[in-house]
Amino acid sequence: MGRLRRSRAHHARRDVHRAARTRVRARDIDQIQFEDLDPKRRAELEAQPLDHELPGLGQHYCVECAKYYETDEALKSHWRSKVHKRRVKQLKEKPYTIEEAEMAAGLGREQRKPRVTSMEDIT
Amino acid sequence: MVRVEKCYFCSTSVYPGHGTAFVRNDSKVFRFCTSKCHKNFKMKRNPRKVRWTKAFRKAAGKEMTIDSTLDFEKRRNIPVRYDRELVQTTIKAMKRVGEIKKRRELAFWKTRMAASRDKHRAHRKKTLEAAKASAVKGLLKPTVVSESPKIREKIKATKSRSALVQGEGRSMGMDVD
Repeated sequence: MGRLRRSRAHHARRDVHRAARTRVRARDIDQIQFEDLDPKRRAELEAQPLDHELPGLGQHYCVECAKYYETDEALKSHWRSKVHKRRVKQLKEKPYTIEEAEMAAGLGREQRKPRVTSMEDIT
Repeated sequence: MVRVEKCYFCSTSVYPGHGTAFVRNDSKVFRFCTSKCHKNFKMKRNPRKVRWTKAFRKAAGKEMTIDSTLDFEKRRNIPVRYDRELVQTTIKAMKRVGEIKKRRELAFWKTRMAASRDKHRAHRKKTLEAAKASAVKGLLKPTVVSESPKIREKIKATKSRSALVQGEGRSMGMDVD
């Protein structure tokens, strides 16, 4: 027998085009780290008003994974899952930003100096 | 405004008219040099963990991070009035800084390689010793016995081979195969 399969053996989601459609675009890691994990915002997200368009009326939301669940049970079993734990670990890392990309390229940001108004302008 | 931007993923320069930009719904602009970088972004990969990016190389200590030559290039949002003298001196300074940077990078690379060489050497020595120890433990005698006749046979074979002797496929003859 020949080779059966070498690629796609580990459930990797490689359909980038499907995953990157605007309507299914999930929140980025840095968005979650900077905004959603803030206690105030987190409380807001966890107690959303009823929305008929969202799964489970938007009542069972996992902030870390930016995902809605149908029932409380499903959400709780998700919290126990490997996917969620992996995500939590990932969120503990330092967020990657555009500034870091620029710093890696050797492009810094100029620090704003207080504007010196010349004497001519005043008089 | 025309600017040379930096790629979000690999940090190379993105010149006007090249690459793509993605504007997230919080109005952050992500620029990409190539479709490769764009795709990697879509896969939500962390550039710090992808080995071919500048971010990885800096984070992993493969390139200089703290150096005065790296502090020159800056994004400025306040325009500077054109001045011929200033442009000339700036260009001169850029060249000079580039030279210094190149030299420092080479020195950095050399020290890094020296350190890794020592590490490699120590590792190789350790593995070799471990292999020797395991050989001494079990299979000292059989290896010696099995090796010697093989070598003798080899020597014999080479001796008998000669271009003067017919056959063996080395000498020329009239035989038809």
